[in-house]
Amino acid sequence: MMKINKIGVIGAGTMGQGIAEMLAIKGIEVFLVEKTPEKLDQAWNMIVISLDKQIEKWAITITEKKLILSKIHKINKFSRLSECDMVIETISEDLDAKLDVFLELDNICPPHVILASNTSTLSLTELANSTEHPERVIGLHFLHPVSKIHLVEIIRGLKTSEDTLQKTKNFVEEIIQKKGIMVNESPGFVTTRLICTLINEAMHVLNEGVASAEDIDSAMRIGYDFHYGPLEMADRFGLDAVLAAMDRMFREFGELKYRPSFLLKKMVRAGNLGMKTGEGFFSYDKDGDRIL
Amino acid sequence: MKVLVINAGSSSLKYQLYNMLDESVLAKGKVERIGMETAMLSHEVPHQPEVTVVAEILDHTSAIRRVVTALIHPEHGVVKQIEEIEAVGHRVVHGGETFSSSVMVNSEVRQEIRRLFDLAPLHNPAHMMGIIAVESALPLVPQAVVFDTAFHQSMPPESYLYPIPMVLYNKHKVRRYGFHGTSHAYVSERAAAFLERPIEQLKMITCHIGNGASCTAILNGKSHDTSMGMTPLEGLMMGTRSGDLDPAIVPYVMAKEDLTINEVNSMLNKHSGLIAISGISSDVREIEQAMHAGDHNAKLAYEMYVYRLRKYIGSYTAAMNGLDVLVFTAGVGENSATVREKVCTQLSFFGIELDSQANLRPERGERRISSNQSRVQVLVIPTNEELVIARDTYQLIANAKMNS
Repeated sequence: MMKINKIGVIGAGTMGQGIAEMLAIKGIEVFLVEKTPEKLDQAWNMIVISLDKQIEKWAITITEKKLILSKIHKINKFSRLSECDMVIETISEDLDAKLDVFLELDNICPPHVILASNTSTLSLTELANSTEHPERVIGLHFLHPVSKIHLVEIIRGLKTSEDTLQKTKNFVEEIIQKKGIMVNESPGFVTTRLICTLINEAMHVLNEGVASAEDIDSAMRIGYDFHYGPLEMADRFGLDAVLAAMDRMFREFGELKYRPSFLLKKMVRAGNLGMKTGEGFFSYDKDGDRIL
Repeated sequence: MKVLVINAGSSSLKYQLYNMLDESVLAKGKVERIGMETAMLSHEVPHQPEVTVVAEILDHTSAIRRVVTALIHPEHGVVKQIEEIEAVGHRVVHGGETFSSSVMVNSEVRQEIRRLFDLAPLHNPAHMMGIIAVESALPLVPQAVVFDTAFHQSMPPESYLYPIPMVLYNKHKVRRYGFHGTSHAYVSERAAAFLERPIEQLKMITCHIGNGASCTAILNGKSHDTSMGMTPLEGLMMGTRSGDLDPAIVPYVMAKEDLTINEVNSMLNKHSGLIAISGISSDVREIEQAMHAGDHNAKLAYEMYVYRLRKYIGSYTAAMNGLDVLVFTAGVGENSATVREKVCTQLSFFGIELDSQANLRPERGERRISSNQSRVQVLVIPTNEELVIARDTYQLIANAKMNS
């Protein structure tokens, strides 16, 4: 069995923070990388806030918080990533930026190190092709909030090797103990494709005046046992992220069913991006709780 | 003959090396932070300064190798060559319904301990890592396992079953197992020996009160009932564990506070008990200090702690229809004269009469703290789980040799 003691996490946005925190809770040393020291400090503070929230919910103790934080190392130099057993890239969904990261990682990390991307829509094969060792590139799509959602999509690009796949599967199921589903590369994989299509349809329903936002969400939440309704889910993902995913799928598949709802476009243009701006289909306070 | 006793945790490993000729401890120590570059081994030999080494120890096998190196080290070692260690005994928390005594490790035993991972997800996998580590570091040395649950396997069904659908017992083995068995067994035997009375004729309650706490009703030398249940959460109020509560509180609080299974589990195991009520500490010594300084919450926590212990002693006395011996052991039981006094003075109705001076005397060894008139003998017996593991291991090896 492969030993994984150190993992590099590149990009400390919402997903990067969540992944870093989850790995540290599992006892893994995390090398967290951001573009600037300021961004890194900001990410660190967000992780501290997240852990404090967990203490409030009795999930961890103050001692455990210290132990978890001691496992997360703020790294300013990419070169330190050569020490890692695996690197997970989780920067924004920008193909060119991701290509640069993979090119650089490929130079720094010895060939046995697995290079994973947390992309939710981009082509793994395309990312892998920028490297000398495309066989070690794989997709690891975590869902938000990472420590609570025990599902990971493991995405195999065209050149991903069987060895890389098996090691990654083992990492997901044995080390971080999440359910891993196997996905062959395809736009939006399984999760994003299904959920964004549902969200987009909910927006059509709202726009057509069929039902209110509140009632659309209740229908799915209570009727089908969703934790959040599709519109609140969109608010929590960020409407810009939903739009980007829909745009991408619309372009790749060319089918009308993926065409983003006009309401979604309008709201993104107005800057109502959901939870992170406080306004979306619903209103939120600064802790991200719904204002009712 | 020398026996190495191991208590393996997920990222730590404690050890003691015994010389079984006189049951003396030759060396003891622990490895902490296994899996990290800055793991630490602290090794202690009686009458010598403690030795600590910081090194990269990435798994249990390397940890065992480090321990072995320390034991045969020319300066602070205690054996000349590794062959002198003739057996290794492991502490294993959960033996399920399979193990009612200590056994030698073989492939079936290993498999069974694995099957029990579900019932002790935090402990048994770590113990297994310890066993595998010894196998690879000391391949020729026989190993034995000693279970925390084994002593309680003598409980009758009316004690170990919960009044919930039987299918849960049949399918998932949901029942009372009890813990601290090694300690309860040891102190009950010592208590009978101290009183020079046959254990087969005694009604005894042993209170193991330390970080975790449990009470056992021991009828004629056998565990008849014990306060910890399927997990070590049930029973007495503890440092950070709630002990008994209305099970309906769990779903109610989960709904009200929107908690996950993991959060509510952690709340009851790590954020309850003394720390929850006092808001100060999970340590009885600190609670006592704060109480004497006038802290109301500390006093309340302390009163609840003692009250719940007293109720258990009362119910076990009823369960056995009488009581001959009450034993206190483990950290709090051995050291807190006030806890013992608080418990005993309110049990005079059972015929318990404390000798307050004997109770207060700062002694360490086995001692009686009840008065000469007391109908119930009250004893303080220091526990020694490691010694029991060493003895059981030694005995099993001796038996195996006789049979071969």
